Amino acid sequence: MTTDRTHRNRKRALRIAHFIGLFIAMSIICIPGLWIVLNSFRPTVEIMAKPPVWIPNELNLDHYRAMFGGNGQGGVPVLTYFRNSMVISVTSTIIALLVGMGGGYAFARYRFKGKAALFVGLMATRAVPGVALSLPLFILFARIGIIDTHFGMILAYVAMNVPFTVWLIDGFFRQVPRELAEAAEIDGCTRWQAFWRVEFPVARAGIASAGIFAFLTSWNEYALASQLTRSVYSKTMPVGLLDFTSEFTLNWGGMCALAVLMIIPALILTFLVQKHLIAGLTFGGVKG
Amino acid sequence: MVTPSIDLPNGLLMTRLKLPPWLVLLLPAILILMAVVLIPLLLSLYSSFTSYRLTRPDSITNWIGTFNYEKAAKDENFWAAFGRTVLFLTIALNLEMLFGLGLALMVSKVTKGQRLLRTVMMFPMMFSPILVGFQFKFIFNDNVGLVNNALQSLGLSSTAIPWLVDGKLALFSIAFAEIWMSTSVFGILILAGLYAIPQDPLEAAKVDGCTSWQSFRFVTLPFLMPFIYIAMAIRSLDVARAYDMVQIMTNGGPARRTELLWTLIGRTGYVDAKMGYANAMGYISIFLAIFFTVYFFKKLTSARAELGMGG
Amino acid sequence: MAQVHLRSVVKKYGGLQVVHAINLDIADGEFVVLVGPSGCGKSTTLRMIAGLEDISGGEVLIGDRVVNDLPPRERNLAMVFQNYALYPHMSVRENLGFSLKIAKRSQSEIDRAVDDAAEILSLTPLLDRKPGQLSGGQRQRVAMGRAIVRHPDVFLFDEPLSNLDAKLRTQMRVEIKKLHQRLKSTIVYVTHDQVEAMTLADRIVIMRDGHIEQIGTPLEVFERPNTTFVATFIGSPPMNMLPARVGGGRVVLTDGTAFDIPPGHKVEEGQDVIFGARADNIMPVGHSLPATEHVAEVKMSVQLTEPLGTETLLFAQLAGQEVQAKMLNPRPVASGEVLTFQINLDKCHLFDAETGASLRV
Repeated sequence: MTTDRTHRNRKRALRIAHFIGLFIAMSIICIPGLWIVLNSFRPTVEIMAKPPVWIPNELNLDHYRAMFGGNGQGGVPVLTYFRNSMVISVTSTIIALLVGMGGGYAFARYRFKGKAALFVGLMATRAVPGVALSLPLFILFARIGIIDTHFGMILAYVAMNVPFTVWLIDGFFRQVPRELAEAAEIDGCTRWQAFWRVEFPVARAGIASAGIFAFLTSWNEYALASQLTRSVYSKTMPVGLLDFTSEFTLNWGGMCALAVLMIIPALILTFLVQKHLIAGLTFGGVKG
Repeated sequence: MVTPSIDLPNGLLMTRLKLPPWLVLLLPAILILMAVVLIPLLLSLYSSFTSYRLTRPDSITNWIGTFNYEKAAKDENFWAAFGRTVLFLTIALNLEMLFGLGLALMVSKVTKGQRLLRTVMMFPMMFSPILVGFQFKFIFNDNVGLVNNALQSLGLSSTAIPWLVDGKLALFSIAFAEIWMSTSVFGILILAGLYAIPQDPLEAAKVDGCTSWQSFRFVTLPFLMPFIYIAMAIRSLDVARAYDMVQIMTNGGPARRTELLWTLIGRTGYVDAKMGYANAMGYISIFLAIFFTVYFFKKLTSARAELGMGG
Repeated sequence: MAQVHLRSVVKKYGGLQVVHAINLDIADGEFVVLVGPSGCGKSTTLRMIAGLEDISGGEVLIGDRVVNDLPPRERNLAMVFQNYALYPHMSVRENLGFSLKIAKRSQSEIDRAVDDAAEILSLTPLLDRKPGQLSGGQRQRVAMGRAIVRHPDVFLFDEPLSNLDAKLRTQMRVEIKKLHQRLKSTIVYVTHDQVEAMTLADRIVIMRDGHIEQIGTPLEVFERPNTTFVATFIGSPPMNMLPARVGGGRVVLTDGTAFDIPPGHKVEEGQDVIFGARADNIMPVGHSLPATEHVAEVKMSVQLTEPLGTETLLFAQLAGQEVQAKMLNPRPVASGEVLTFQINLDKCHLFDAETGASLRV
């Protein structure tokens, strides 16, 4: 009977340790982000106060008002940046998805010589660090004259996202049994109809999540954008964040407000896609 | 098996070009990657053998052989940054893996509200690396930052700790930010692995007399290894994300104490305008990234074979 | 070696109760089979004995120890799982020796135990393979070997043969029975297959909806089923069940056909009953066993035949219901042919129509 009791006590101790550990981990994950959100609503005086003000006296929308009020405080054209980001991210995502669907389908359904090597080759292009790529791309884009244009950015982001979308979509198509398309062909579909009417709808959720992943990558990218965009005409939000800094001062409040604006779409999309994303990454990877 | 001779969708076009269907499907991907990645890389390979400077476009024809590479090989700053990058990555990736494993194990044991915790766990993944940089630059700010404010209010420190100014502390702060940003990648993938583990062998291990630790060590962990390697491979594909963050937090300073390969390349190329030299160093960083990626993919394959999952 | 006792064992998931206060005493060295349709709580019961499920109420004893809160590793059991549960990253040798390694036995001892087990199950040539390279039957044997190696107090089997094809299943059934005779250890075995239960068990425990319906030797449950459920579950083809009423001291079917009350049953006049007779006890005249004391004769038209070689299964119509009968020394029977059948009333049963309980005294 004594052993019974020690076992029960140990179980209880483990449960408490588990709870505390989880609490600490979740705090570390959440607090930095919440701190940013909180500060976007606080007046600059309070952010800079010494000694620090812990309980906010006043929360207001000043930073947001300044941000959307055109060239108000700091003169950062946030709305233009937001639009640039949207246009570039959405367009490059759609193209990357189409290209990725072709590639992913080829890898999932056809056998050909050098398939493994080609796959690794595609993946390796993703391993090229943005900084290292930005140098020659800058030279090249400047030569062709597509620097500081939406087109140039879209092109760069499509290339950046294709390896990943190919990988994910390959994984999703692999989960669709080959017999499904074969049955459709016997039922009278052409190969193309079999793909479009049967395989695509079945893998649709997975493809959507690959799209959201590509969108987030473009939406958050900085290393390439910081070199390939020069002016209000094509600057994206991550690059725009730097407008709040100058040599010696930093407009913390304004930056926090822009940060919140950047996070919200990402937050919504990630929430929508989380389940498929995990499935996609693991199926694509583990089942090889 | 489908042979390439089969007529495809809009079969007309394909048969006229006589390309196998897989190639037609892959062609857009191949073309765009050639145009945006391969050709620029060849260009940068070429320019790394010249004295090309942004300010003097004609210098791109000035062939100087392997001079840039020799210069890099002799450059103390370069080797310091190289060593620091490898060290930084090794420490960060391993810690991320450990924390991610711990986090995933804790979340998987929760019975109520697991969905919510899983979403919270993915929170940092949504942050742009540059945003993470700003966020932690703010939080570690010696004057108005959250950390110093908290330490001082709690009376744990009377002076402002120069988190981003002192060399060692700055490296710690950067590592902290990097780990905050990327632990969830490991956490989420390992959690997926935990869900995928068949329950039978775990129960068999319990009946076979394993303590919880032994079941973890001999059954859970071998099952998780492929997932850990996938996470490692994915992470090594975009370790350079850390560049955005470091550039904002310290930009390699103070006095090059936090200089990583990528910040060094960025500065040499754009600030000092020595494109040729920067490209030479860029190549070295590319090989570093590819090395890590291939290494982990290899590990993944062997771990899969070990579990009999096949390739 | 040990006995196992269940005392009012209950299992609840939240508000849902899946095992209702079960009592069961298993003797040392006994082979007990828990059988029942899926969802009857038999696997849950086994897993509570193993310690893989918490016990919501009551007590489980192994030997004389209450093991309710003991983790599985301290119960000294071995278990064979339906999906074998082999460790895929270990070779057969490592799989077999794993539990001993965990118990920190010496390497020479582990080697000896593994070699013995491999010898018994003829796994010796496969010792260095991984589970992924084995066939279903081989994996099954490794799973059993893993159990043998431990010399446990109790063996637990959770539907171990259900993933094998029919031929292999028969073969493994014999091997399990031999193993029990050799090791003489206590075995608790779960299956949904009544043939497995009949062939293997010293005693069968028939479960339904979290309750025990009947406990008994294979012959007891076959010849004296306590309830209609047991009567239809045990035996193949299932027992024919015909609704009837007691009238004028006889059993009257819905179409007026009447038989004598089968001996050994206590009924009341006007009581609604169910008349149960196995196919083995309904045979056409001239193709039956020698007549016994109490026999009823009835004419039925044959709808369908299933020749099995030594006998033919006949599907006939009686009182608007399908009845299965057997024909010995078979001859061809045309569909629609009317034959006279003899029903051996000594082997027939009456159940209460309302409760389904046997009316045998």
